[in-house]
Amino acid sequence: MKQFLQIALGILSAIGGFVDIGDLVFNTQAGATFGFELMWVVVIGVVGIIVYSEMCGRVAAISKRPVFDLVRERVGFSAGLGTLIASEIVNLLTCAAEVGGIAIALQLLSGLPYRYLIVLAVVGLLVLSWTLPFVWIERLFGYVGLCLLVLVVAAIKTHPSWGHVAHGFVPSVPSGNRLVYFYFVVGLLGAALTPYEVYFYSSGAVEDRWSAKDLRMNKVTAIIGYSLGALLSFALMVIAAQIFLPKGIDPQFLGTPALGVEAVLGRIGLILAIVGILFAVGGAAIETSFSGAYNLAQFFGWQWGKKERPSKAPRFALSWIAIFILAALIVMTGYDPVKITEYSVIFSVVALPLTFLPILLVANDPVYMGRYRNSRLSNVLGIAYFVLILAIAASAIPLMILTNGGKG
Amino acid sequence: MNVTATEIDLGLGVLDHQLVDREGRNCGNVDDLELVGLDADEPEVAEILCGGNAWRSRGFFGRLAAALSGNATHVPWSEVAEVSSVVRLKRTEPELRLGRGDDRAAKLIDWIPGS
Repeated sequence: MKQFLQIALGILSAIGGFVDIGDLVFNTQAGATFGFELMWVVVIGVVGIIVYSEMCGRVAAISKRPVFDLVRERVGFSAGLGTLIASEIVNLLTCAAEVGGIAIALQLLSGLPYRYLIVLAVVGLLVLSWTLPFVWIERLFGYVGLCLLVLVVAAIKTHPSWGHVAHGFVPSVPSGNRLVYFYFVVGLLGAALTPYEVYFYSSGAVEDRWSAKDLRMNKVTAIIGYSLGALLSFALMVIAAQIFLPKGIDPQFLGTPALGVEAVLGRIGLILAIVGILFAVGGAAIETSFSGAYNLAQFFGWQWGKKERPSKAPRFALSWIAIFILAALIVMTGYDPVKITEYSVIFSVVALPLTFLPILLVANDPVYMGRYRNSRLSNVLGIAYFVLILAIAASAIPLMILTNGGKG
Repeated sequence: MNVTATEIDLGLGVLDHQLVDREGRNCGNVDDLELVGLDADEPEVAEILCGGNAWRSRGFFGRLAAALSGNATHVPWSEVAEVSSVVRLKRTEPELRLGRGDDRAAKLIDWIPGS
């Protein structure tokens, strides 16, 4: 019973924590540009994050090694340092975008000036991260983030043609500009397969001292939590396809999905959507800053861990504090958080192969994994996704340049 | 368990592995190894090099990082207690002069309540 409750709570927080600013931006823009045509990409992305999250959770539980520790050991110092630099840039940009997202959500709720709210957002994040244990942070942001389920209600209330929606789950010849279509394919996959989630998940598993008895919880939480979380991505796309596409609205503002909800459910829907966005991006901001600190500490072999008192792991603590402050400075420049999100998602795709390769290698290593090494199914899926990741990593930046960031 | 260089693959089993001190604290990585006896055809690991200019032999990014860092800390191989998925040391971090970066960083956050 206790384990069932633990799994249920894990699933709930996985749903609430599924959506981050990358999903909000790319799913909404994809729906507003191509209607339901790109639904199938979300399915591929979600299966990919399930496969690699389950794998890195299992590796962490059995080998007691987090991802960045393995990156360095498996690809060597130089390639590992290159991956570290790329990951830290992506983590910082993503954290900046999430901090900007919090400020925008607070502005929609309060009407106060954006720059003051950036300061308020980062001070709030610092205080919460310093004072609360992870379990409370996860509950606070994950459960309140469940307000985003209002997106699913709103999507249903737009009364889409379910036949057309179902059609979107099958890849088809794009109706518009093909390069823009493929840009969104890469962006949607990048938004679903975010490297920081993998770093955070595996480091958390090591900190929580997972063992073989946690493997079932790992698998169930990854499969059900992410699958249900994907409903939110579908809902964002349906709302954008139903509300924005017919009117030719280009969603260039983070609050646009909430306005879509308001069009269907009124003021209560709007408030629930904004609160959901606030807590979803808030939780993601904490995950990105801690992922950055985990990566640095694991690469250089420092003492790390949220459970450690900051004075016992001072370089780790200074790292996440510095990432929050740098992220706030980036958004204080006035650069649009939506643009920062687009860059961070596209650049994160480039860092993906060297993040996922060591997980795949160690998950197959009988010395580390013993009888818990990859099954044939995990390997088929893991290798297929690795090939896909290589292809999208090679095409991400050229597509961003050729399409002017999806504008065609 | 005492470990000798002949029992393990140094490239795969030691290099880039986590160093853990007697109290279980992470205290750096094996960034390079000092070998002796190569001329006599009896190679033996003399020291573990950790941090700073130990990175200079580790490719382009390693040379860059080494140029921006100080001297490496040298840990005699005789201080190694065990090699598993990590390299366990016989003494504590301060005794081996590892983790000096943590001391410097601690000064910056010690004033914050709850640290």
